[in-house]
Amino acid sequence: MVAAHRAAANNSDMANPRRPLDSRIEIITPENIAFQYVLAGPFRRLPAYLIDCALCIAVLVGTLVLLSLSATFAGILTVGIGLWLVFAFVLSWFYFSLFETFWNGQTPGKRLLGLRVLSVDGQPINALQAIVRNIVRNLDAMPMLGANAELGVPFYMVGLLAMAANDRYQRLGDLAGGTIVVVEKRSALGGLTPMRRGDVLAFAQNIPVQFVTGRALAQALSIYVARRERFSAARRFEIARVLAEPFCERFDLPEETDPDLLLCALYYRTFIADRPGRDASGPVAVPAVAEGAGR
Amino acid sequence: MKVAQLLDHRREQWRDLEALCRELERRRVRRLGPAAVLRFASLYRAACADLALADAYQLPIDTVQYLHELVGRAHNQLYRSQTFRWRHWGHEMFFELPGRLLADRALWLAFAVFWGIFGASLLLAFSSREYCERVVGQEALAHLEASFSQPVVDRDGTGASAMSGFYVIHNAGIGLRCFAAGLVFGIGGLLITISNAVQLGAVFGHMLTVEQRANFLQFVTAHGPFELTAVVFSSAAGMRLGFSLVATGGLARVASLRRAATEAVPTMGAAVILFCLAALIEGFLSPSSAPYAVKAGVAILSASLLLLYVVGLGLRKH
Repeated sequence: MVAAHRAAANNSDMANPRRPLDSRIEIITPENIAFQYVLAGPFRRLPAYLIDCALCIAVLVGTLVLLSLSATFAGILTVGIGLWLVFAFVLSWFYFSLFETFWNGQTPGKRLLGLRVLSVDGQPINALQAIVRNIVRNLDAMPMLGANAELGVPFYMVGLLAMAANDRYQRLGDLAGGTIVVVEKRSALGGLTPMRRGDVLAFAQNIPVQFVTGRALAQALSIYVARRERFSAARRFEIARVLAEPFCERFDLPEETDPDLLLCALYYRTFIADRPGRDASGPVAVPAVAEGAGR
Repeated sequence: MKVAQLLDHRREQWRDLEALCRELERRRVRRLGPAAVLRFASLYRAACADLALADAYQLPIDTVQYLHELVGRAHNQLYRSQTFRWRHWGHEMFFELPGRLLADRALWLAFAVFWGIFGASLLLAFSSREYCERVVGQEALAHLEASFSQPVVDRDGTGASAMSGFYVIHNAGIGLRCFAAGLVFGIGGLLITISNAVQLGAVFGHMLTVEQRANFLQFVTAHGPFELTAVVFSSAAGMRLGFSLVATGGLARVASLRRAATEAVPTMGAAVILFCLAALIEGFLSPSSAPYAVKAGVAILSASLLLLYVVGLGLRKH
């Protein structure tokens, strides 16, 4: 029992050996859905950290100024300074922990830049993890200029080394707390590229009706068409030719066919419609596959 | 069905889910109402299903990317961070922690190292002024003697709170740094503990030999037990972290570290609470002109409270 528990703990911890070295991490939810996050590296996290630091300093200086202003009216300066020092202590040691606990893994800086702290298994963090990762921050921040002063300037070399040494960009605090930092991107829904060019629609007729696009081809087509606008005509020719030439032979098309045009027509046939002006489904196997996988 | 139709069909649902996510990020769940929450859950499940079937649907690569991001965002709104559960932490502090402290070999080691070296340093300083000058430094010694040359008098009452605040930020900061340094295989925390013990021992030993002895004892007696115990606790918590990297108990090192962290943080929490209590006493009672008997009484009371906490509550568990 204990051995099994230990093995499980070890397993969950070890990176999947087949996982390619990538800044993406796959999370499997309790619904058994796998989705990917982009891990946040040191240079995405630094600006968020700087924002948080600036906020902390601004709040501390602001409250101190308010305090000294109010002290001229009432003799509460020393009591106020005592409270302010306690406030400074809480802010300097627990600012990150408190925000990450109550804001679901985010601090103001992280929220502004779309970062979030999660457990390594993709679950949200709890208070304990937030506290651990942010106390050990003090070790990650080494070497510190003026380490004994309360306002040391951290260089985060230890944290940077730790991040470089593992494949999930975890600094020591993340390792101790079992957390990762991910990017929560909000890109707009990128749909299909509309194909309204007459020549593409006309050319699509040349593709045999019974031709079915495979998955790999569909993926290649979607990548190519999404990016072709950014290339010059010569470059498009060069890229498209590799894929288009075998299809020219297969469909008995003349050799001087424009490869870009052929790929656009294939894209139209695969993603948009079988025939121009008709959106009804043709004898294509896609729905059958989809429903089969759904069951 | 072609992808274009599928996208037309689904686009609206995805947009709805996106809008709900945005709402949830800004507002509390309760404000949203049950209907919206139910709708969020079903939209989330639908988006998950779409993502799972993206390959079979042959969705374009941009759309798959969008779905990954959308499901990720919704997942983070569905599963939210656990905030402090007060009952759980109360149970941890009063029922679990004392027993664990009593059985924790890191605590005994920290205790032995701190008090052993403190005592040795005190004896050395008591017998030789040269040792003291080497450890503490001549200037610091002169400064120390000067600052205790006057008998302790009442500050005008207002300075006390400022000093308390200062002691919190200074002493608890040292404790937390000692805890973090402990992660380096326990050595970092051990070094800080030893250096603290040597310094404090030398100061105590020296101050007992000079004529400012009475003033010094007037100042340090009351808050001593809480503050020194807090130093020992934070050093022990750091060592628990560091030793877990060496004695992993069959776990991977990182997993072992993570398990030790869940045990060490409550200890560190206790240390921070002790530092704060000590700072209150140090700010208000220690520099006051209260008779020495009162201060000694506070010291005895706080020491017996600590003993009751660690041994009394700890043994009940076993």
